[in-house]
Order: sequence, then C-alpha cells, then structure tokens
Amino acid sequence: MIGIGRREVLTGLTGGILAMAAHAETPSRGGTLTVGLSNDSKTYDPIFSVQYSERYVLYLAFDTLVKYGPDFSIRPELAESWETSPDGKRIVFTLREGVSFQDGTPFDAAAVKWNIDQRLDEKVNSPQRQVLAPIVASVDVVDSRHVAFNLVTPSPVLFSLLGERTGFMVSPTAWQQRGPVFGTQPVGTGAFILKEWTRGMRVVLERNPNYWQKALPYLDRIIVQDLAGSVIGVQRLLTGEIDYVDQLTPTDVLPIETRPGIVLKPITVGRWYFLQWHVNQPPFDNARLRQAFAHAIDRDRLNEITMRGQGTISDGPTPPGLWWYDPMLKSYPHDPARAKALLAEAGHPDGLEFVLSTPQVSVFQQISQLLQEQLGAVGIRLTLQPVAASEWYARVVSGATNLTPTRWTQRADPDGLLYILFHSTGFANTMKYKNEQVDALLAQARTIYDVARRRQLYAEAQRQIVADLPMAPLLFGAEYAALRASVNGFAWVPDQIPRFRDVWKSG
Amino acid sequence: MTRPGRWIGAGLVAAIAIVAIAAPLLAPQDPYASGTDMLALPSTAHRLGTDDLGRDVLSRVIYGAQASLAIGFGAALVAMLIGVPVGLVAGTLRGVIDVALAAVIDLFIALPGLVLALIITVMVAPSLRNLILVLGFVMWPPIARLVRGQALAIREMLFVEAARATGGTPLWIIRHHVWPGVLPVVAAQFATSVSFAIFTSASLSFLGLGIPPPAADWGGMVRSGYDYLAINPWMSLAPGAAVSLTVMGFYVIGRSFR
Repeated sequence: MIGIGRREVLTGLTGGILAMAAHAETPSRGGTLTVGLSNDSKTYDPIFSVQYSERYVLYLAFDTLVKYGPDFSIRPELAESWETSPDGKRIVFTLREGVSFQDGTPFDAAAVKWNIDQRLDEKVNSPQRQVLAPIVASVDVVDSRHVAFNLVTPSPVLFSLLGERTGFMVSPTAWQQRGPVFGTQPVGTGAFILKEWTRGMRVVLERNPNYWQKALPYLDRIIVQDLAGSVIGVQRLLTGEIDYVDQLTPTDVLPIETRPGIVLKPITVGRWYFLQWHVNQPPFDNARLRQAFAHAIDRDRLNEITMRGQGTISDGPTPPGLWWYDPMLKSYPHDPARAKALLAEAGHPDGLEFVLSTPQVSVFQQISQLLQEQLGAVGIRLTLQPVAASEWYARVVSGATNLTPTRWTQRADPDGLLYILFHSTGFANTMKYKNEQVDALLAQARTIYDVARRRQLYAEAQRQIVADLPMAPLLFGAEYAALRASVNGFAWVPDQIPRFRDVWKSG
Repeated sequence: MTRPGRWIGAGLVAAIAIVAIAAPLLAPQDPYASGTDMLALPSTAHRLGTDDLGRDVLSRVIYGAQASLAIGFGAALVAMLIGVPVGLVAGTLRGVIDVALAAVIDLFIALPGLVLALIITVMVAPSLRNLILVLGFVMWPPIARLVRGQALAIREMLFVEAARATGGTPLWIIRHHVWPGVLPVVAAQFATSVSFAIFTSASLSFLGLGIPPPAADWGGMVRSGYDYLAINPWMSLAPGAAVSLTVMGFYVIGRSFR
C-alpha cells in the first residue's frame, strides 16, 4: 500500500501554509500563471454565462458588486458599503470611486443600473432573470456614486447573487458596441484583460495596468490551458507545464501528496452528493420504499472508498461550516435489516429492480457501483446505465432520468441551493418534490434579514426535507487544488471557483 | 499444413477457455465485492492488487475471460451466419444477385469497423447482447467477400460444371461441392473474427461503450485503471495483457490456415 496517512498530509499542508506566511509580506510582481482546466466555456459574457468553468475566467476579467469571504460572508468589492431601508425593500449601494472599465468607460451608478436592467429585461433573456426578477423591482441612480435597488420583498439573497454571475459588472459601451462578439471579447473592470481565446486550447489574460486596486494584480499574465482530465493535469503539474490544477479527488492526489515542490489545497466546503428519484411517481411515491433505500445505504463506507475517508457524511443538504448547518439533523441510519423489513411492508418482499443512470465521471461510477452492491444486499437490484457526462443533466431536467446520483456545489446563501432544489417551483427541483410546509418555510426565510430567525426556519425546512426523503443524502466530497510551490496567495472560497487575482509567483 | 503457430495459438485459446469456464474455482475472491483497501499494489492477499473500489484485480481478470470469450465467439458466430450465406449465394449464382450483393459487401467494407461499431453502439444501449450483435454486424462483409471469392473459384471447376450439366440445383451444388471447399477458409476466418471482436469490444469498452459496470470486462478495466496508472498500474496492465494474449491466440490460429 502506497500513500501516507492523512495526518501527514495535514502536517505537510500546515508546513506549506507556514512557508507561505513567511513570504506573505513580500508578494513579488510579474510572471505567468498557467492554470489547467477541463474548460467547457461557451461564453465569457457574464449576462449569458451558464457553464461551470466560465467563472474561472469571469472572476479575472470582471469584478462583482460584492464579494465572498472564505466563510461566504459578504464583503465590499465594487460597492464599498450599503444601507438597507427600515422596511428592508430599498438598498442603497455606495460605489467605489475612481473605477473604470477596461475600455475607459467610467464605472458609476448608471453602469450598475444598466447591468441589472439587462438581466431583468425579458428581451435580453438572460438566464439570471429567473432568480433576479422575483427579487428586484427596479434600480435607481441616486447620484453617480449611489445606486438604489428597489426590491419586491426584503431579500437577503440579493447580496449573494451580487457576488456571483448576476453581480459581474459589464462595460455598457463595449457590450452595446461589440454585440454578439462580447462573449469572446469581454470588457469588465477586472484585474486581467482577456487577450485571446482559442476554444479547446487556451485563454490568455494579461494584467490590467489601470486596475483600481493599485498594487494588484501581481501577475503579468494568466493562461488557462485546456486539459483532457485531471489525471493529465497532475502529470503536467509535475513536469511544470502548468502551475495549478483543481477538481482533484483524494485518489488523484495520491501520487503527488509527498512530492516536493507541490502544495495541496483542500477545498473548505464539499460538494453535496445525493441519490435522487421522482418522488411524486410510483414506485418512489411510497415513503417506505424511500426509507428502505436510505436504510440500505452505508454512507460511511461510500466515504471510506470514494473519498478515502476524507469527505463528510451527509445527513442533509448543508455541510458543517456554513451557518445554516444544523448539527442536530440526522438522516436514516444504515440498517439493512430495517431496509428489508420496510421493503416487505412497502409490498416488495422479494425486492425489486431499478435502472440507475450513471454519468460517466469516475466518482459517480464509483458511487453507483457501491450503491448497487449495498442496495443489492437488501434486494434492491440496480442495473447501471452509463450516460455521457455531457448528456446526463439534460436528461435529468427533461425527466428522462429517474434514479441517479447527483451533486451540487454550495451557494453563499441557503436560499441558493435549498429553494431551487426543494421548493415546488424551484427550477432545479428535478425530484418533483412538493411539500406545502417546506414551500412556506423556504418562501418566508428568503425575505428575512435576521440570521438567527432564518437559521431556525432553514433548520425546520431541512428537517422536513430529510424526513420526506425526496432524495437520499450521501456525502460531502473532498477535493483538492494542486499548485506548484512557487504559487502564493491562493485561498479557497466555498463555491469552489478559484480566484487568482491575489496570487503571486515567487522565485 | 501443421505449423507451430497453430499449436501455440491453440494452447493459448485452450488455457483462456479453461480460465473462463473454471473462473468460479480459480478466482481467489468475489470479483464484485468492494473493499476498503483501494488501489493496493500486489500482495499475498491480492496477487495483482486492488482496483479503485478495493476489488481484487486478479479475480476480475479471471472473470473477464467469460465476457471476452462470449463476445468473441458470439460476434464471430453472428458474422458467420450473415456472411457465409451471402457469400455462397453471390459466388454460386453469379448474375444480377451477385452484382447487387457484391456492391453491398464493398459498401460495408469501405467503412472502418471500429467507427461503424461506435456509431451503432451509441444508438443502441450498451449491453453484452447488443455488443455481440453490433460486432457481428460489423464483421460479416469481409467474411462474405472471402466466401464469395472461394465459391467463384470452385464453381468454375470441372466437377461442378459436370454436376450442373447433369441437372444439379444451385442448392445441391452449394451443399455438396462449394461448402466443403470453402470450409477451411471459413474456419480460418472464424478465428480471425473472434480476435477482431475481442479487440474491438475492448476498444469500445475503453471508450465507455462496452458492457456497463460493474461487469468484469477487460476493456472496461483497462479504461478505469487508466486514471490510476501511477498508483496501481496492474489495474490496467493485467486486463490489457489478457486482451493481447487472447487476441493473439485466435489470430495465430486463423493465420496458420492461410
């Protein structure tokens, strides 16, 4: 058995962090950072961005109105500060002074209003409209430095939206001039200017010399190099062809755990993995059958094998470390005997058969085979049906897929994931889950600013969801970024999109 | 006509057939049982180490012989069942039927087998049965062409002409003169087809279009081991070697008849 214990990895990491702290006072200017990424980007126009990996580049070419801290706290970015009216329905942002877009257009209140108006405009048809329109009624320019958001209801969710796609500020002049090519020649206020995008090859970004944070960025250039998978990324990291690669599983990093010159950065909040089904249709409309599934699954063993024990068992949608996590929440424990009994009570004493749709991604294939083994032991026989990763989610959305493992990254606000997945009108509710009590709780919690009260409401909603089992929670994944040791200043945000603005290279 | 190659080939094929049949006796462990010692290197507990789910690689390679031989023989049989009759009819009857059949055969031969198999497999759901049918369908044209060529040569021989002159029907001629004549060629081509089917199915599995997991399937094992070459290379190397030896065994037998 090769590989080393986890404690040693952690010691190694701590050493790396200490070494970095020693450098921390003297970030050096210059150099090129080469990032390896399996890039599925279709556009770099934030208004139309949908793909996961587009955000690697968007966070370089653009800035958001507010930004996320390492704990998902909301911090100033292009907006310096904000004030909420007593009724909670009007928020006035004070904008940073002296900021311009990369094409020289000044960044001011009019630009913010234009940006939000684009997203709200039915004719523009931005995919962000569906989350923004129920929240924002209109945007007013107070003066050039102050912009007011008039809300439909009080909305704490707005801040989290303004830290991601909805909050990327696009140059209105460039957007109108460039039209459809804006997606390949984007203009923001960001620290890097997109110079070249050769699809399937690389994206080249160069330092913005007029960036509003005078010392930043440190790097001259960032190249996002296309990769055909993380294993190849690890090899290229070893040869020095790239400086950074992420989305590595605990297994992927085994060969590099002890390599000198390589630093591993574990993500801080894992993706949520669960097993979903159509809860409103037979046979899954039978609560006993769902409970039989949940009792048959050994989450500890799933974690042990697929995450080498480095993930966390999931008892519900929220992992430890986020403020809406409820340590009291427990899902159905592993109990094969109970599962068999429930199966018999549900009218299937001889067991039954299902097709499990399996996206062709290593970790999903592993989870699927283990589920097959565990469920098979109580008489639930699964046939695995591999589906190309590119087709899989479309099939889930269309309803062609019933039983399948799936995963979601965490959002900065509890509403971000819980509402879209578990509200009966949520656009990602492919389980077809509908519980009026949960709907009411989720609808109420998204209009309250008081965190303590929201925590209570979300705890109640999650308790109900976990009891209802519109899905069986599995685990929160462990993942790593691997960097060459010369790369400094990198830190994860829990949304798992790397930000390279503050990174510098030494020696 | 005995060549040493044939005996080497026959030995290899016999050994693999024995492994396939006696897999439950030979495999030290359950090939489907997961374990918590993942990607372990070879040890006394696991002679070829374990895979990403902690399963015993040796046991999976042993069981993999079953799927490979089933695909190899099954697909070759399907190809024969289509290719031999088509070739015999075309070669014996000549005329318009021959021209039409020869055109169809040439059309299919012009398409590369793996590409054709890929396209069809994407359309039908991958399973053991479908894989056998798809590969059989891809492999029949070369067999038909070969049989047709042989039949053409045989039908021009004096004893066949004599049979025709004395009123022998085409079916009678095929059965008594042409078929015995093409039999050795068919036997050789059968062995070559088995090797092609096993190789192509491994390629399809490697591309993710083979028998769905958790089947112990050599091509699929090579593929899933590819991500872990730096950790336990045997996860890929062992099934890869098994494919090579099996393909070689059948190929050598087929060649020795030429």
